Amino acid sequence: MKRTAPAALLTFALVLGAFPALAEDTISFGAAVSLTGKTAKEGEYTRDGYNFAVETVNAQGGIVLGGKKYKIAVKYYDDESKSESTAQLIEKLINEDKVTFILGPYGSAPSGTAAPICEKYKIPMIEANGSAESIFSKGYKYTFAVLSPAKLYLKGLIDLVMSKDKSVTTVAVLGENEPFSKEVASGAADYAREKGLQVVYQELYPTGTQDVSALLTNIKGKNPDIVLGAGHLQDSLLIVKQAKDLGVSPKAMGFSVGPSSPEFRANLKSNADYIFGSTQWTEALKYDGSDPWKTPKGYAVAFRAKNPKYGDIPYQVAESSAAVIAFCRAIENAGTLDPAKVRDAIAALDIMTFYGQIKFDSRGINTFKPMAIEQLQPDGHKYTVFPSSVAEKDALYPMPAWDKRK
Amino acid sequence: MGGAELGQIFVNALLLSGILALVALGFSLVWGIMNIVNLAHGAFIVLGAYITFFLHELLGIDPFLSIPVAMLALFTLGWGIQRGLINQVIRAPLLATFLLTFGLELLIVNLINFFFKADLRSVTTAYSGTGFTLGTVRIPYIRLGALAVSLVLVAGLAWYLKATRTGRAIRATGMDLDAARLTGVKVATIYAATFAIGAGMAGAAGSLLSMMVPFDPTLGGGYTQRAFAICVLGGLGNVANVVIGAAIFAFVDVFVGARLPSLSRAVTFAILVLLLILRPQGVAGKRV
Repeated sequence: MKRTAPAALLTFALVLGAFPALAEDTISFGAAVSLTGKTAKEGEYTRDGYNFAVETVNAQGGIVLGGKKYKIAVKYYDDESKSESTAQLIEKLINEDKVTFILGPYGSAPSGTAAPICEKYKIPMIEANGSAESIFSKGYKYTFAVLSPAKLYLKGLIDLVMSKDKSVTTVAVLGENEPFSKEVASGAADYAREKGLQVVYQELYPTGTQDVSALLTNIKGKNPDIVLGAGHLQDSLLIVKQAKDLGVSPKAMGFSVGPSSPEFRANLKSNADYIFGSTQWTEALKYDGSDPWKTPKGYAVAFRAKNPKYGDIPYQVAESSAAVIAFCRAIENAGTLDPAKVRDAIAALDIMTFYGQIKFDSRGINTFKPMAIEQLQPDGHKYTVFPSSVAEKDALYPMPAWDKRK
Repeated sequence: MGGAELGQIFVNALLLSGILALVALGFSLVWGIMNIVNLAHGAFIVLGAYITFFLHELLGIDPFLSIPVAMLALFTLGWGIQRGLINQVIRAPLLATFLLTFGLELLIVNLINFFFKADLRSVTTAYSGTGFTLGTVRIPYIRLGALAVSLVLVAGLAWYLKATRTGRAIRATGMDLDAARLTGVKVATIYAATFAIGAGMAGAAGSLLSMMVPFDPTLGGGYTQRAFAICVLGGLGNVANVVIGAAIFAFVDVFVGARLPSLSRAVTFAILVLLLILRPQGVAGKRV
């Protein structure tokens, strides 16, 4: 869709009226992230990651387009962790706030409802926090994800355990009944079967569950070597708590989401020890990128300097910053703000960053970056333990039974 | 389902029944006596959870010992809210009380969110997750303690309503407002006491839940729903109905969850709908 000159003039005049001081040199982005509700914490990480990257890019002069420097501004709305609201808010951002580009919401379900809206208006969206492949199986052309897809989340953990112990035979997988977690769970179960393991339990529980004792009791009876959880932070905490309550003690226990967040240990204290978590990114990884921070370490140091409340940096923060960087590079490569041209530039992007390689397959998902595995260890720290080429420490295995710990 | 698993699931359901009964107790009291469906009930539960969390985190007070503190704080708050707010709509149509308590819920939850952030929290003590084994069945201490506290409070309230002057006045007001007033019952005070007791019970439930599940400011909404379902299942009218309703809810939830976890909520609410068709007064409720 090409804008006609009068419409462009009108838009220009409107924007001028609204932001007299910024109008000439600002590119406006819009984002609806969950600042309240179930995923409020992750939404906050997302926003902090976007903001940090935007501040950094702006401080370095902004986006250079035709010899002119543009600053970035982001307009936020709170989708209250409700994916229905996300769609409405994206429409509002595009129609009322007249943003040029969209940064994704937090989570697969809201990303899934945002994608058709961006498609409808042909506004490119790069999202950093929705990795369910269902979003990318519908042929949308304007939605891209910088993160690794859901089905790969727990693959590394299975590889890790199998490299440690040739005698493991059985796996139990429990997941939250929502698009992203379902894909993580089925991806993990499929991979386990592919590796010759027996999946003795595979069930989904409803979102927002407050009791998983029934599932864990069933799992306990099957006595699996590995227990894998695919849900969100709250579920992972509940599963560990009730696993201890019920004495469910597999040789390894790991989650797709949860352990990488600082709240995991804050909630579980020493009960968090030995638990594995998959992660999109840790600061221990070794990448050498062409972005403002170059390496994971460089990013972490700079981020903490601006956001002192953070200790460990959750991967949601890093991937959100990576989405902003991908946008900036694509816009510069396109040399214009025309949405269709920027869309093509995003599709053609192939850059190395502090976050890893950013390159999209034909569906718009970044299948080129591997996942890492972390473990919480009894010294109170969390270490990257897989892939072994970047491991900070050796994984502790097997997990001691709950009643055999001091 | 093997014998060992069946035993464990039975105990899980039993332990869950206790806390659910306490969750629904205050809600049922306020609904039954004042005819107010208190949508802010869950928010009171969350406040109780935060009180216990902070007393444990900052002062190292054992979570079970902070239950009376949470109850007293919520009792006081409940009294104030009833006198200041609920009393304004006590004669208004049901919709007005819905709106008011719904607004109150949003207000409390967002205030908590503003002051304490949306961080997930848990009360984790040295004995969290520990327990004993009875045959093949594991019984965690905290859930057992929660069941005990719930039973004491349920029995205590039942006794209070039956044996004390204020308790009888509360029941009389619920049965016939005008007759109660004619016999000299100060309805305004009785309503305030009822609402305050309801809030106090929610505070105790929140204290217990903070030890059992990770929570954030939005914890309460789901528990208001559960309390509502339990009241409908058991029927209003007396404390025993709440216990029966809670037990049905817990057993259905846990037993269905053991085999068809993804359907557990759907089945629980399907049974609720079915019961409403077959026995609209609740399993134990009396036909009016």
